[in-house]
Amino acid sequence: MLTKIIRKSTRKKRRQSSEPLCQNPSGNPTTLSKKLEDNRQAILNTFPKADDLVIREFTIGSEAPVQAFAVMIFGLFNEDSVNENLFKPLLSVHNNQLTGSTLEIIKESILSVSSVQEVQTLEDTVTGILSGDTVLFIDGADRALIASIRGFAARSVEEPSTESVIRGPREGFVESLGTNISLIRRKIKNPNLMVEKMTVGRQTKTSLAIVHIQGIANDEVVQEVKKRICRIETDSVLESGYIESFIEDAPYSLFPTVGNSEKPDIVSAKLLEGRVAILTDGTPLVLTVPYLFIEAFQNSEDYYSRPYLATFIRWLRWLAFFISTFVPALYVAITTYHQELLPTSLLISIASANEGSPFPTIVEALLMQIAYEILREAGLRLPKAVGQAVSIVGALVIGEAAVSAGLVGAPMVVVVALTGISSFVVPAFTDVTTIARFVLLILSSFSGLYGVMLGFAGFVIHQLSLRSFGVPYMSPLVPLNGSGLNDVIIRKPWWAMTSRPHSLSRNTTRQVDSLAPSPPENPGN
Amino acid sequence: MGTTFLPVASIVSSAGGRDGWMIVLPAFILGIPYGLMVLSLLSQFPNKNLLQVSEIVFGKGIGKLIGVLYILITGYFGGLLLGQVGDIYERSIMPLTPISLFYLGTIILVFYLCKSGIEVFARFSEVIFPLIILALILNLTLSISRIEPGVLLPILSEGVMPLFWGGLKVAPFVMEYILFMAGILAFLPTDMKEIGQLRREVWRAVFLVGILDMFVAFTQILVFGPFETTRIVYGLLVLGKMVEVSRTVAGVESLFLGVWLGALVIKISAFLFTVVWGLETVMNLKGLKWEIAVCAVFMGIAFGFVRGSVLISEISFVDNYLILPFTTIWILGLWGTARWKKGKNIRGN
Repeated sequence: MLTKIIRKSTRKKRRQSSEPLCQNPSGNPTTLSKKLEDNRQAILNTFPKADDLVIREFTIGSEAPVQAFAVMIFGLFNEDSVNENLFKPLLSVHNNQLTGSTLEIIKESILSVSSVQEVQTLEDTVTGILSGDTVLFIDGADRALIASIRGFAARSVEEPSTESVIRGPREGFVESLGTNISLIRRKIKNPNLMVEKMTVGRQTKTSLAIVHIQGIANDEVVQEVKKRICRIETDSVLESGYIESFIEDAPYSLFPTVGNSEKPDIVSAKLLEGRVAILTDGTPLVLTVPYLFIEAFQNSEDYYSRPYLATFIRWLRWLAFFISTFVPALYVAITTYHQELLPTSLLISIASANEGSPFPTIVEALLMQIAYEILREAGLRLPKAVGQAVSIVGALVIGEAAVSAGLVGAPMVVVVALTGISSFVVPAFTDVTTIARFVLLILSSFSGLYGVMLGFAGFVIHQLSLRSFGVPYMSPLVPLNGSGLNDVIIRKPWWAMTSRPHSLSRNTTRQVDSLAPSPPENPGN
Repeated sequence: MGTTFLPVASIVSSAGGRDGWMIVLPAFILGIPYGLMVLSLLSQFPNKNLLQVSEIVFGKGIGKLIGVLYILITGYFGGLLLGQVGDIYERSIMPLTPISLFYLGTIILVFYLCKSGIEVFARFSEVIFPLIILALILNLTLSISRIEPGVLLPILSEGVMPLFWGGLKVAPFVMEYILFMAGILAFLPTDMKEIGQLRREVWRAVFLVGILDMFVAFTQILVFGPFETTRIVYGLLVLGKMVEVSRTVAGVESLFLGVWLGALVIKISAFLFTVVWGLETVMNLKGLKWEIAVCAVFMGIAFGFVRGSVLISEISFVDNYLILPFTTIWILGLWGTARWKKGKNIRGN
């Protein structure tokens, strides 16, 4: 209650985001010359050592030929398409076709390319060339034509290995920005799906697209996303992780405040809840904001399965998160300080299992956890076949052999194994639980359950202080929002989830009420 | 709610014997008129805490004097509560761990919570409150098997006067809450609709906490009897130690103590806030260094009262002879004078 009151009173004071959108850096653009040779020289000067630069000179028309040349970069354009749709029509032009402005006629009547753009500056032509477009210069014209005939080696759309599902779409994003946008467009066939492209990275000139649904996404969040991206002035953006680290709310926090996914259905669902997606060229990982704590416990398959199992699995995820974070610390605290909590028979079992171990419980726990983390990292990075071998050797070494040698007790192996497996149930928080586990282990080692509680309270306070693009990180749990809980602790059936999360969207009505199935009664009865 | 549920049974049973539980709720209800007086001052002096209001209503000199008393009392009490954390942990489950570790850990957490701001503090309370309720309910229900109903009879055999005196011992709990309200006032909304909502919340909070504390006292008297309840200062911890479900769950006091730690952190943070607000209002001392200085003072006070009985009697002393009279007179006087001045249309600067 107090939270609500304080929030209401401070909301009015909160800074309004009304800064202008990203402005392109204003320099002095170099205008193109009417002389073809000047333009050619300018291009060569811009790319002094670019052996992959292709300059194809040719003439248009046979009776009074017009000199021209096309520029592209080898490997970035579709050779067949360029030959078929650009050179072939241009080389077969008759002079009687060239009445009036040659450039206009070529653009409107000759090139059979879907996207042809007219540019006037050298900078624009260079950007086009670097993006894989073919740029056409014609003698006597102080403009150039950019024909979008890109084509480079790209991976086909396939199921992402990190987010595989049993039920649901198998397609995943790829490294091409255009393909990724089209994958979302295929899901959301709505003109209100806004796609705004930007370029970041002084050296890499990486394209990215900010995607949201107008009328559903909160405009303030959209503006904030643009503002944060606009302030990125860096040399390179090679992956969406670069963008994430530049725009996140809490750069020093363990907890991520920007989400990511490789699946178009997940990103589309998030857009439909009012979030904003950031697609980066060259990576299949799409960022989504705002990102809330509860999202880590939601999975796309929850929404394709029946609600009972989805709810049960969700509870298991909460439990697994708890186990992976707290169980080693609780084990150390209880066996070291609070043995009275254990039933006598269990206490005796643990004591007898640990009898031969030369190390204190905390040393055992740290050794085993570190060994597990090393094996996990090795297993992930190595080729599959070698990785499996490492896993088997690791399991034998840190399991059977360590216990047989009397280095660690068997209960500790059980704890580490349980913790390790549980940490993969909530993949979004695997890194969080790993660090938090070590912190809690150390706290529990010198102050028992007091230390665990201290660590827990510290993490809770930290999480409560986080916001993701203005939205409280822990909402709708804290501050409590009853309607938001429809999709948190339980997963209600689709017909019962009538509203979008209140913290994300102003337009909260998802569907009408009373959509519960009501089949006609059996006429035989 | 804070940590009132820890000593409440001992206090009321010492004053009212087996009937002591009856006085808990009526004593808490005393908080309602005081809460409403504070909210009435909020609508009259929006966005000002009661220290600022005191300077306006009583004049600078008296206002500053009240402010200094407010800082001293809340600061001293906050330090004693920090000492209580160490005392509880050392006495109950971790006797071999140095008490300074508990002080240090708790004060770091309290400082972090206060640095995160009043909104995070409110949200943290929102997280811990259900845990406290759950732990209390578990603690009480799992003790049902040990209840001896006969100890409550005969009812009111000593008359009602002991209950009145018992009520005076519980009333400071409510006044601690009023002291916090006096400081947080500047952060509360001032439009009529929301003040109306706050008024309803005062009623709700008093009844909820009063009823819960009453049940805590009731159960402890039923389990231990009035004499033992008086003797055992932290009876709830002993109840936790006695909990046993089949042969699997036993001695879960350590788990309950985790929740009580959350409650203590909230209460100490509330008093750290009051001191920080007081310093800022009265002496214009603000910033990180002063917050650290207040934490250091809390630590110093905690170290000054290391052991149980001395600490408990000091907390009772501050409650009964400082917080209760100071708050009762201050709030009543401030509200009355403000009303009188408003009636006469006299305005301060």
